[in-house]
Amino acid sequence: MIICVILIPLLAGILVPLLPFRKRCHKEIFLEGAVILNSILVWYLLLHHSESTFLLAHFTGDLNISFRVDGMSMVFAGLVSGLWPLATLYAFEYMTKEDHENTFFLFYTITYGVTLGIAFAANLLTMYFFYELLTLVTVPLVMHTLTREAILASRKYLYYSLGGAAFAFIGLIMIIVYGTTTDFILGGVLDPLKIGDRTNVLLLIYVMAFMGFGVKAAVCPFNSWLPQAGVAPTPVTALLHAVAVVKSGAFAIIRLTYYSFGTDFLQGTWAQTTVMIVVMFTIVYGCSRALKETHIKRRLAYSTISNLSYILFGAVIMTPLGLTGAITHLAFHAVMKISSFFCAGAIMHQTDKRYVHELNGMGYKMPWVFGIFTISSLALMGVPGLAGFISKWNLAGAAVDSKNPLAYAGIACLLISALLTAIYMLSIVVRAFFPGRDFDDGPIQNVHDPNWKMLLPLMVFTVFIILFGVHSQPIVDFFYDVATGVY
Amino acid sequence: MYLILLPILFPILAGFCLLAYRKDPGRKLLTITTGICLVITGALVVVALMGTKQGLTLFHLTKKLPIYFNIDKISVIFSLLTVIVFLCAGFFSFVYMKHEQKEKRYYGYYLMAFGVLNALCFAGNLITFYLFFELLTLSSFPLVLHTGSKEAVMAGLKYLFYSLCGAYASLFGIYFLYHNCETLTFTAGGVLQISPASREGSFFLLIAFVMILGFGVKAGMFPMHAWLPTAHPAAPAPASAVLSAVIVKAGVLALIRVIYFIFGTGFLQGSWVQTAWLTLTLVTIFMGSMLAYREPVLKKRLAYSTVSQLYYILFGLAVMNEEAFTGSLLHVLAHGFIKSTLFLTAGAIIYTTGKTRVDELRGIGKKMPFTMWCYTIVSLGLIGIPPTGGFVSKWYLAMGGLTGDIGIFRYLGAAVLLVSALLTAGYLLPLTIQGFFPGADYDDTACRKQEPARLMTIPILCLTILSVLVGLFPNIITNYLTDFVSTLL
Repeated sequence: MIICVILIPLLAGILVPLLPFRKRCHKEIFLEGAVILNSILVWYLLLHHSESTFLLAHFTGDLNISFRVDGMSMVFAGLVSGLWPLATLYAFEYMTKEDHENTFFLFYTITYGVTLGIAFAANLLTMYFFYELLTLVTVPLVMHTLTREAILASRKYLYYSLGGAAFAFIGLIMIIVYGTTTDFILGGVLDPLKIGDRTNVLLLIYVMAFMGFGVKAAVCPFNSWLPQAGVAPTPVTALLHAVAVVKSGAFAIIRLTYYSFGTDFLQGTWAQTTVMIVVMFTIVYGCSRALKETHIKRRLAYSTISNLSYILFGAVIMTPLGLTGAITHLAFHAVMKISSFFCAGAIMHQTDKRYVHELNGMGYKMPWVFGIFTISSLALMGVPGLAGFISKWNLAGAAVDSKNPLAYAGIACLLISALLTAIYMLSIVVRAFFPGRDFDDGPIQNVHDPNWKMLLPLMVFTVFIILFGVHSQPIVDFFYDVATGVY
Repeated sequence: MYLILLPILFPILAGFCLLAYRKDPGRKLLTITTGICLVITGALVVVALMGTKQGLTLFHLTKKLPIYFNIDKISVIFSLLTVIVFLCAGFFSFVYMKHEQKEKRYYGYYLMAFGVLNALCFAGNLITFYLFFELLTLSSFPLVLHTGSKEAVMAGLKYLFYSLCGAYASLFGIYFLYHNCETLTFTAGGVLQISPASREGSFFLLIAFVMILGFGVKAGMFPMHAWLPTAHPAAPAPASAVLSAVIVKAGVLALIRVIYFIFGTGFLQGSWVQTAWLTLTLVTIFMGSMLAYREPVLKKRLAYSTVSQLYYILFGLAVMNEEAFTGSLLHVLAHGFIKSTLFLTAGAIIYTTGKTRVDELRGIGKKMPFTMWCYTIVSLGLIGIPPTGGFVSKWYLAMGGLTGDIGIFRYLGAAVLLVSALLTAGYLLPLTIQGFFPGADYDDTACRKQEPARLMTIPILCLTILSVLVGLFPNIITNYLTDFVSTLL
């Protein structure tokens, strides 16, 4: 069953260029059907999950490719499978203006399967395998437009990711050598007897592996691939570079920290201090760069960099509450950021405008898109009653609870970042809705909202942003159970 | 029980509908609708104040984080002020806004800000308060940038980001309070159970200071006051009136709630936070008056005056005894009525003559005698001449300051209040003097009466009368408050 949900998107993707679709809408129905079917299967799997591990291939010794559904996989797989059908729907409309549609959908759909592979991986090796695979299948998506810029961006993305994975690989080896098993077990698998007096070496390896996986999670100084990769079509930037790929990085770090090295081993060491400082710096750095950036998608990409580090900040607090905060932000940020990216995409699709200063007065021409953009901006800022407030509340709560003075400083970073978020998001909103007295709306007379295929996903996201904001108790409780190992 | 929600939801929804309605309804219909909405909201507030017996927990945002509304005597004072000023300024703007564009948008945000302010008054715990504090900023900055000129837009953004900055600073404190208090419900006497002498206590003193600075931004506390003199002149006059009379008072309300209902005065009394806060307030009072004194543009002068006057209120709060607290609340009312009148008269002058600088307004008293009479009466009130509102409140403030346990500030406070009163006379009265006594060389054959329309003069008159009434019958308010205030301290 687990292997099915990984293979269905793979097959569906490969079939797209092979099958002779007579009309475009047939292809759309086929793809959307496959994706929805897969999501339903995933949800079925999550709701009826068993504890058993599914062994696919056995190499040597402990090394094997196997899958299992545990708490973290439920969160990540549930998130990805919830977003993918909507993003696909959006992509149909968006791709009408781009070329090489078949190639795009081929890789786009395969990525779904690979991401699920990461989510369901039962041990470090399997996760590493799918992690590398994810890099390879998403490179063509970044390269999609085949402009010089896109090729450069994809090359950078490839080198960064592979380089990062190499460091992560060292971590994998160390776990094999010093751990009891490579399986993910909450609390870690390191064997104190084997470690002996090599604690500092292992801590160094942890920091290296953290930075290695951190490349995908765009930790400073390895973040410059992300804004560049914004040349990809918006469905890719929105779903992959705000959710699937980058959150795989965060997900891998959570696995590494909580399920392989174990928080008992890391808590209070210099390694924790180091990564926490890196993460805090990234939070502020990302926001400051976003402030400076005038290209809408790149601005959002920098915002993603900062927000990913919110997640990592929660993770490196290394308490169950910290993990809860991290997971909450992992899920909520996905919804908020994909919503704002889709708005940016809708603007580009309808008007071909890419820069913030071109958006004057657009709010009245595209009220739905900008209304939704406003809500997602407010959510990202952390206005109470919207999803972002809850996740920041949990993160800050965990930091206060940890009694770690550095984490207190982290709260200050979160709030500085919130202020900067307000500035770079609301300046777009203000431009759109309050263009000033001398504004002439002649040139944008014919601009209007996109059709339902673009608006429906946006509306669904907005509903969830508000829903999570006002009634988050059940889902946060679930995340807490995940973090404490109930599932 | 759900009555308390009506004055919050009704104006917000009405405002939202106005904004979402795409067609232009025509000026007459628009003003009539808005007028009806304002009156209904006012009535709903009164109904809610009369009919609410207990608090209402709406729902929980997350664990232990309820949205909770409750009405106490502080809410009553602030919400009555809000209603009166919003109604008067609202009716005033029906005429005033003729010379601005996009009236629908203005009224939409005006109504929303009204609802949010009501919610702020009724908020029963810190989270609810914080929620509406942010919403207040978001719904009121469109009022500031309404005219759409470049300065107005920049002023709006400045207001927005300063306020958000303050809000986030206080959120920092809320995170820590939440983890160390049983509840964040506003409770007279405070909910924090930590001794200020302990190690944690000294950290919480810092938190308290950060929160005072944070919420102080909205109330224009030095050194974060810069948005206030930029925002007020940029906004349309009725918007400046509500901004100055009520919206900045949200910062005052926030400080009352945080200091008296969350930290508790016992925690802060005699600490370095109190000293620092008192210093800041006295500096701001003096600085605001000085800046107002040398400011030539009328509305900007009034804005600086607001900075200074707000700090009379905060001085009273920082002293932390009964007289000073009563004085603060009286000054909230007095300053609310007086400053809205001043801004409305300034608006009436701009509307009829188009002049904004004080030195251009020679002989204005001959043209608009009624308006200028109102201006003069409330000016005397703000200076603190006996039978008017400002006198009683300043009396209480000075008495509180003198009897307070605040060391050197006892005398410093009274001295600064007096100097500032002098300066107040210095910056408000020149307009009266020049207006009524333009000098021998003034050619008054050319001037004719240019009194503005009824809809402008009546709100001004109402507010003037109220400001005088506060001064004549302060006992009603002080008696109403006595028992309540003693539970706070």
